Amino acid sequence: MINRTSKLAAEFWKHGKTRSCPVIDMHGHMGPFRGIYFPRASTADMVKTLDECGVRMLVFCHHEALFCPEIGNTTAIEAVRKYPKHLRAYLGLLPHHPEQIARDLATYDKYRDVYVGLKFLAGYFQIPWDAKVWECAWQFANERKLIVLGHTWGGSQHDGPGQVRKAAEKYPDIKLLCGHSMFGAWDEAVAVARDLPNVYLELTALLSYRGPLEKFVDAGLVDRILFGTDLPWFDPHQGIGAVLSADITDEDRHKILHRNAEKLLKGVGVRISHQ
Amino acid sequence: MNMPFAHHRPTDLSAKGLLKSMDRAGIRRALTWHISQRDIFPVTGNRLVDKAVRGHEKRLVPCWTILPPDSGELGDLDDFFRRAGRAGVRAFRAFPDINRYLLRYDVMGELLDRMVAARVPLILAVPGHTNWESVYDLLAAVPDLVMIITNMGAWGCDRQFRPLVRRYPNVYIETSGYITDGGIEAFVETYGAERMVFGSNYPEAYHGATMLAIAHSTIRPDEKQAIAGGNLERILGEVRL
Repeated sequence: MINRTSKLAAEFWKHGKTRSCPVIDMHGHMGPFRGIYFPRASTADMVKTLDECGVRMLVFCHHEALFCPEIGNTTAIEAVRKYPKHLRAYLGLLPHHPEQIARDLATYDKYRDVYVGLKFLAGYFQIPWDAKVWECAWQFANERKLIVLGHTWGGSQHDGPGQVRKAAEKYPDIKLLCGHSMFGAWDEAVAVARDLPNVYLELTALLSYRGPLEKFVDAGLVDRILFGTDLPWFDPHQGIGAVLSADITDEDRHKILHRNAEKLLKGVGVRISHQ
Repeated sequence: MNMPFAHHRPTDLSAKGLLKSMDRAGIRRALTWHISQRDIFPVTGNRLVDKAVRGHEKRLVPCWTILPPDSGELGDLDDFFRRAGRAGVRAFRAFPDINRYLLRYDVMGELLDRMVAARVPLILAVPGHTNWESVYDLLAAVPDLVMIITNMGAWGCDRQFRPLVRRYPNVYIETSGYITDGGIEAFVETYGAERMVFGSNYPEAYHGATMLAIAHSTIRPDEKQAIAGGNLERILGEVRL
């Protein structure tokens, strides 16, 4: 049942997905990873999951693109080209390899069918967003009005609210997606998003907790909240079930689960089919 | 019934509030504990959970929290178990980190032996309230203990818990912290649906999150029913307090 007060919840409960509310996942990965066992980490298995859960499109950054310079974004490119209806990628950047960042940015246009923007993972490498090594990438994204997904975490000097504010102010043409919504620093996340219209709050990992999502909606930010799962980390049905359970309206749910993402993706030339 | 430290939305934490939320989600019955069992003092919390569920016993089943017998805070152990039975308790919880003791046989043996005899499950949040090494040591010493492992966190713990599930037939995995994509299906394929029980971690988490994941996992309907409630009904039905 999940939520007796929601028509949308009833549809998802019955069918597991619904045409009236396609889901767009704006925060994914791909492939195995060191600290966790994934039963479904291959491209084919992930696409199967997307179909099962009614996720129309996943925008992801392959683990290899973030941690393995020898492979980089190669596997991601192959995956998107194999499943163009289901997948788009963020170009993953490796801050310890500035020469590779320059190379990847130089070839970005060759893969306009693959990429919608860039992915920053600063905290894992303890290299803050305002470090010189990232600068060319920020400028590149700003000039092209790209989507940038950054892992963000409350209290972090590398990718916390202070860094988000600074980057969003300096690069106003970027659509800055705060992965995990500055996890834990909910009030600061609200403040930053209220002040800066190019800041978006993405829900991966938050949906295991009651409260933050409703806080963001209550703060008037529903037009800038995006659904995400870290797939293959988290079961999309778990996240969708949380959104359906939250104390918000079905109209809010439509915005969070697909409409906000559709607008963003349209801005970088990606249209989502509703068929 | 437990008030989380952070994240939470203002919530009616009374039994009536909990039941209202369960009704909204379509949950019939719940194993419950009181936050004071963790945050104030186990014995105080045990009394408070009894008081809170009074009049709602058909739907709210209380858990009590245990402590090392040597400090004498639980009183005479035979009497503790008798009182637990009278109160309708069907599971115990332990917070060895917060209550500052070692959850091992040479500390807790008298109590654990009685739990095994009564088939009372021990519910343990791992790695939240103890570490995996302690759980391995505990089960090696008390292999027949019924244990439900909960709140495993976002980083899936398959590599830690799978050897325990394989080796000890009374170990169960609770779903609220187990959200790895494809995890339910992979677990059921390897160990069977009878080793997994539904839990929501409400009010810290939403009732409907893992409900939807279980309902639309690619396992058989009877396996979903078992995880959703059948297994826990069976485990609690075997308790002899």
